[in-house]
Amino acid sequence: MCETCGCGTETHDHDGHTHTHHGLTHTHDHPNKKVVNLNMDILSENNRLAERNRGYFEGKKVLALNLVSSPGSGKTTILEKTIGKMIATRKIFVVEGDQQTARDADRIEKSGAPAIQINTGSGCHLDAKMVHQALLKMEVENNAILFIENVGNLVCPAMFDLGESKRVVVISVTEGDDKPLKYPYMFQTSNLCIINKTDLLPYVDFNVETAMGYARQLNPNLEFILLSATTGDGMDAWINWLKRQ
Amino acid sequence: MHELSLATSLINLIEREAAKSGFMAVLEVQIEVGDLSGVEADAFGSALELLVSDTILSGAEITILRTPGHGKCNTCDREFLMTTRTDTCPGCKAFPSEISGGEEFRVVSMVAE
Ligand SMILES: Nc1nc2c(ncn2[C@@H]2O[C@H](COP(=O)(O)OP(=O)(O)O)[C@@H](O)[C@H]2O)c(=O)[nH]1
Ligand SMILES: [Mg+2]
Ligand SMILES: [Zn+2]
Repeated sequence: MCETCGCGTETHDHDGHTHTHHGLTHTHDHPNKKVVNLNMDILSENNRLAERNRGYFEGKKVLALNLVSSPGSGKTTILEKTIGKMIATRKIFVVEGDQQTARDADRIEKSGAPAIQINTGSGCHLDAKMVHQALLKMEVENNAILFIENVGNLVCPAMFDLGESKRVVVISVTEGDDKPLKYPYMFQTSNLCIINKTDLLPYVDFNVETAMGYARQLNPNLEFILLSATTGDGMDAWINWLKRQ
Repeated sequence: MHELSLATSLINLIEREAAKSGFMAVLEVQIEVGDLSGVEADAFGSALELLVSDTILSGAEITILRTPGHGKCNTCDREFLMTTRTDTCPGCKAFPSEISGGEEFRVVSMVAE
């Protein structure tokens, strides 16, 4: 039914412009209508909130890292091991968005750092507002490291700035060395690429140089760390990278 | 999934902007989606259709303008159309190129009353 004139026929004419809704064509007058030029980025609200988060982190000299990967690349394991090695000398806080395993926040707290789990529902990424709300519930101390574990997904999180200081993309050697070409936007927007599960290199067809070559083509400034969260190989390079930031 | 949350972002933006100016209804919206923006324009359109009922955009005519991807080869300076972010230069086959268009994801204008 046409909401303006109340008639139920599919097509009819009034004076004025024509428009369609629900497959029906109508023409009405809209004497008060105005054209408004917006020219706004659809994600502008997220970008604004991200800048607020960024200002908050800078004010507190907090190193905020946004960890992105496919499901199961090892983000939570890397965090557990990192906390184990660093917590004695550096305050660490974690925001958990990944829900591949329901108990990620518990795993983090067991390893000794305060963590807050964000419920993203069916959402496929964290956004700046969710991070802001998590920060209201967890007081992050000055000079701390804040790890934000994003939802396991290499597409959607790329578009959502959280206000992080740096973005870290994690891939594992079981995922194929052409991963960067499949998710170019993520590799173009990241600062560091961790290649994890290097303990499995003898068993899989993954050429480290090939993967790094593709990623470097997309983003010449990308840094790399080879890591096995399980064996601890490469942990020192990762911890040193964290200390340098 | 991705497009649903992006569609929600758009609806929220329009509702905020309409409220600022006291508009009661939005009749038309023009959106620009670049081919290299990371947004699938068709899926975004479908997601909007699904979500607009009971919002200020209900019944509005939504136009999605697609803008093509443009690149300039870093090696030979050739300018060419890009359909993906990883396209190589058609002249010298080099990669990467400087992206100079097609990353837009924005609302251009609306007609409201
Ligand atoms: N072999 C091997 N397995 C790993 C490594 N890091 C993580 N895993 C395993 O990979 C699976 C997923 O890890 P998780 O940390 O939950 O991944 P997330 O989804 O990215 O947080 C778990 O079974 C881990 O034990 C590694 O370096 N080597
Ligand atoms: Mg996890
Ligand atoms: Zn060229």
